[in-house]
Amino acid sequence: MKPFNASQHAADSSPLAITGLTISYGQKPVVFSVDCHVPAGSLTAIVGPNGAGKSTLLKAALGIAPRLSGDIRVYGQPYRSQAHRLAYVPQRSSVDWDFPTTVLEVVLMGLFHTMRWWQLTRRHHRNKAMECLTRVGMDAFAERQIGQLSGGQQQRVFLARALAQEADLTILDEPFAGVDAATEKAIIEVLKSLKREGKTLLCVHHDLSTVREYFDHVLLLNIRRIAMGPVDDVFTAENLQQTYGGRLNTIQLERIATPDSSTSQV
Amino acid sequence: MIDSFWQALTFTAGYNTTLVTLGSAMLGASAGMIGSFIVLRKRSLVSDAVSHATLPGLVLAFIILALLTGDGRWLPGLLIGAAASAAIGLWGVQAISSRTRLGEDAAIGAVLSTLFGLGVVLITVVQALNVKGQSGIDSYLVGATAGMLASEAQLIGISALVVLIVVFMFRRQFLLVCFDRQYAYTRGINADHIDMMMLLLLLTVTVIGLKVTGLILIVALTIIPPVTGRFWTDRPSRLIAIAALCGALSGYIGAAASSSASGLPTGPLIVLTAFLLFSIGLLFSPRRGMVAMLLAQHRFRRRVHLRQGLLSLARDEAIYDDLTLKVLRRHGYIRRDGVATPPGRVAARDAEHEEHLWSLYRQLYPDEAAQLDHQGLDPIEESLPPDMVSSLENRLPSPARSAR
Repeated sequence: MKPFNASQHAADSSPLAITGLTISYGQKPVVFSVDCHVPAGSLTAIVGPNGAGKSTLLKAALGIAPRLSGDIRVYGQPYRSQAHRLAYVPQRSSVDWDFPTTVLEVVLMGLFHTMRWWQLTRRHHRNKAMECLTRVGMDAFAERQIGQLSGGQQQRVFLARALAQEADLTILDEPFAGVDAATEKAIIEVLKSLKREGKTLLCVHHDLSTVREYFDHVLLLNIRRIAMGPVDDVFTAENLQQTYGGRLNTIQLERIATPDSSTSQV
Repeated sequence: MIDSFWQALTFTAGYNTTLVTLGSAMLGASAGMIGSFIVLRKRSLVSDAVSHATLPGLVLAFIILALLTGDGRWLPGLLIGAAASAAIGLWGVQAISSRTRLGEDAAIGAVLSTLFGLGVVLITVVQALNVKGQSGIDSYLVGATAGMLASEAQLIGISALVVLIVVFMFRRQFLLVCFDRQYAYTRGINADHIDMMMLLLLLTVTVIGLKVTGLILIVALTIIPPVTGRFWTDRPSRLIAIAALCGALSGYIGAAASSSASGLPTGPLIVLTAFLLFSIGLLFSPRRGMVAMLLAQHRFRRRVHLRQGLLSLARDEAIYDDLTLKVLRRHGYIRRDGVATPPGRVAARDAEHEEHLWSLYRQLYPDEAAQLDHQGLDPIEESLPPDMVSSLENRLPSPARSAR
């Protein structure tokens, strides 16, 4: 355990507090000694190059990936006891899209915790699931088999399932990867409305040009933590240079990291 | 023979037969139900490994019982032996696939054949023993419900009912783990425990089914019904319900048929019944059935020919293809001598207009066009929003527009 210090207090209330987290596959650390406190009510992005351990960090936070060392607390408690306060939106590649299930049935999975084993799925469950689908603009597709959707539509269904869980903290793994522009807009609208409701969102993100527009906090990660904090303070050319090394040229950096130009771009 | 089959089906063939038929139906239902999850979890082969792995335990139990009591045919004892060796087999598969680089399929192949071979060797040992009921051991290979005791039928029926209830209780956890293990884990479900539970239920069904279908064929009763269900529905709950129903019907009809004449093995009859239900789905399911697919293919082919024929008419090209001519004639678009009729000329002009619109669309919006299915054959008004169609109309070059 880490010694008691000032940050310990923040860890007690933070929706997700990670301290000294190290994960390795074999002998190669993919995430090394990372500290990260996600502020309550924030919309936080995890940003970093490929292989920086972004998804792995999330999976460790969810208890899916085994960790070598470190401590993870959800609302000050160990993860297992707080699973009900947390929703996970996986990457699209994680499921078999030929699975015999309809869009509505996938969203109903988000309500399983409200159903006792002797209860069948009731009308109010279906209505609730439909509400969530409407919120992501997918209500017209409720009866489709999930494999008949486009990539963006599939991502929206996953988001609807997370909405159904009514979690306080929602963790999303690259929700904008391989989706169309309309879906990206729809998803960010939903995320922002969740934030207005006081929920906390944590999101692996790979499009640097939209970080300023979409998020208020950012964690720059490249195996080690480079910087974490409000976007305006942390999302600077210098920090990005450190995160991405030589992979970004000066012009790109200037454009991404300057507040004015990135907003005018969109 | 038909008479006694009918009697068995209507439960008028006597107390014992009725119990056996009901027990088999219950076994079929629970096999179909747990089998659905095993198939959804993509572990159909595990079912095969479990069933073959029962043999050595079964025969060993028989030998022990025979040596102790002089008669090896005590069903509960045999089932415990079978369950023990099936569990060892499962553990072997698990250990090999998790600790070595071998995949699960390879591990299954190795474990299945080894244990089954061991069992066959043990059977020859039994035949050398001089004990009662040694020929009865064969009935566990292909199943025999003839001469089954009422107590045995009750044991099978009640165990199957218990499995059914447990599967019902845990259906949502099972479904989550089958669909997405990692997501299930984030919902507070221990996926490893749930996996283990599914396997244990499968093992139970396999073991209690030994006497009914025999160990070689029980795998069919866990796999064919869910696959049948897949033809009829896209919903997991219905898939499981259909699988349970198909399993129950197979067990019921198969057991009844086997009681209608002596010497008819139960297992094969049950499996054949299951296959019959499967083929009904395979042929006649409205969406995935072969008949429906052939019809759809046939209709599509005719539409393509119709469109090509109309375009040729519009461009005054000669048509040589027999099917094209036939389709055009059927629609009344050409006369017997191949000359276009007035409605044919109108249809041809419309078809060409559509074609112009589609090609303009493909040219202006190549990405969107690539994402549409069957582009160019459906009427454009039904495939694209109205504002898009009218903007395309306006951008058509004048000769094509005036053709309308």
